Amino acid sequence: MRLLMVLVPAVACAIGLPATAWAADHGPVFGYATPVNSERELSLDTGIFGRYGSGGTEFATGSGFGYGLTPHLTVNVFVPAMFGNGSLAESRMIAGGEWNAGASWRFLHSVTSVGKRIESTASLGVVVPGPQRDSGILGTLHREPGVAGTIATGMASRSQYVWAGAGYTRFAEGSHDRRPSTFSWSGVYGYRPPKLRRGYDQWDYRGFAEFTGEHTGTVTAKGVDLPGSSITTLWLGPSVLAIFKDVAISGGMQAPILRHSSDVLYGREQIRFAVNFSYLKYSSHTSSH
Amino acid sequence: MKNAINKVLLLACGAVLSTAGAHAEYRQVNLTVFGMDCAPCAHAIHVSMKGIQGVNTVDVDLNTGLVTIKLVPGNNAAMRQFNQAVEKNGFTHKDATVVVRGTVTGTAAAPVFEVAGTGDRFALRPAGNAVDMAGLLGKPVTVTGVLPQAARGKVPDTLRYSAITEAP
Repeated sequence: MRLLMVLVPAVACAIGLPATAWAADHGPVFGYATPVNSERELSLDTGIFGRYGSGGTEFATGSGFGYGLTPHLTVNVFVPAMFGNGSLAESRMIAGGEWNAGASWRFLHSVTSVGKRIESTASLGVVVPGPQRDSGILGTLHREPGVAGTIATGMASRSQYVWAGAGYTRFAEGSHDRRPSTFSWSGVYGYRPPKLRRGYDQWDYRGFAEFTGEHTGTVTAKGVDLPGSSITTLWLGPSVLAIFKDVAISGGMQAPILRHSSDVLYGREQIRFAVNFSYLKYSSHTSSH
Repeated sequence: MKNAINKVLLLACGAVLSTAGAHAEYRQVNLTVFGMDCAPCAHAIHVSMKGIQGVNTVDVDLNTGLVTIKLVPGNNAAMRQFNQAVEKNGFTHKDATVVVRGTVTGTAAAPVFEVAGTGDRFALRPAGNAVDMAGLLGKPVTVTGVLPQAARGKVPDTLRYSAITEAP
């Protein structure tokens, strides 16, 4: 079983199978959204993601690469690096120390008018432990790969954006340890003021209100479920996205609006922030006739 | 032998001049695109259109969805390539207004417009007042008209013309 759990992600990475819908170049920095790459579009995302609380501070920086196989199917990988020593709960809404590889499939794409579309995207990916260990209770666990799936749906237009999404991540058990499964969800509203609905040769700005929530399950250590290790949190905060042709910069922060857990294992997480830089390399390739 | 060479050269020059004069090509394509919400969408369309050989300038208006493509003389760009450039970026192309040069074939009652070198061939239908096609059969003409929306991966088979002028 253990061998299988190592082989599956390795093969999946090799064939470019799946990944989580993670902060993308066209959308919010925390919440799930639907955009995928154009056919043959190569995207590079790199950013810094931070979490601060009474249990310490944790930063992750990482780079993601995406490639559009078709107009509606994108394969992507994400390679992070962590620093800091926060004893914080498992989170799938903000990058941690795991490597991700996967694919996003925009299975619904309804273009209704000029500048407007309704779409839904599903992502499936593998999550592989990186070379760096977490700190706190998660750092003591034997690490095994996991599987992450997300789904997002919403509307994009020249003036407004609305997205809702949810995701689930489950890790394999190894040496009687298991990292907690995580169920996450998000709702995003975006707005571009009339004065900023300008030509594509000028900077394009939009603002988002991002609501996210996570329920992190119980940690299993040495075959025992740790009491108080399950946690549910709701977060809310603003973010801004600025794009000029093939580069995008986005940033945002969130504060907790609800927290349901004991503070014993993870302390009290107080703020999350993210800054993301994207470069989008569009393909000029067209078939000859 | 010298005479034979001269004749071949003369024929070759004649053929080149005749081809240059009657070159069939799109001069301008104004394509309405649905689904572009942001600057990268427009930039992606711009890059894709510029990748088509023969495209000179591309302008994208995000608020109207209008993509204006102007082409250099002597190009061989086909309508399918413009549609593909839209589809590969995940958008939908609607009607296209074109200024295109080609030849009228078929019959006066059922005229066909051919853009030689591109493979494009359309049944000509009047958008307003019909033009007498009898005098234009076999001649190079410049047509201004609308190509209606076609299904994904397809090119429409009808060109609704608003103006046809005999090309010089």
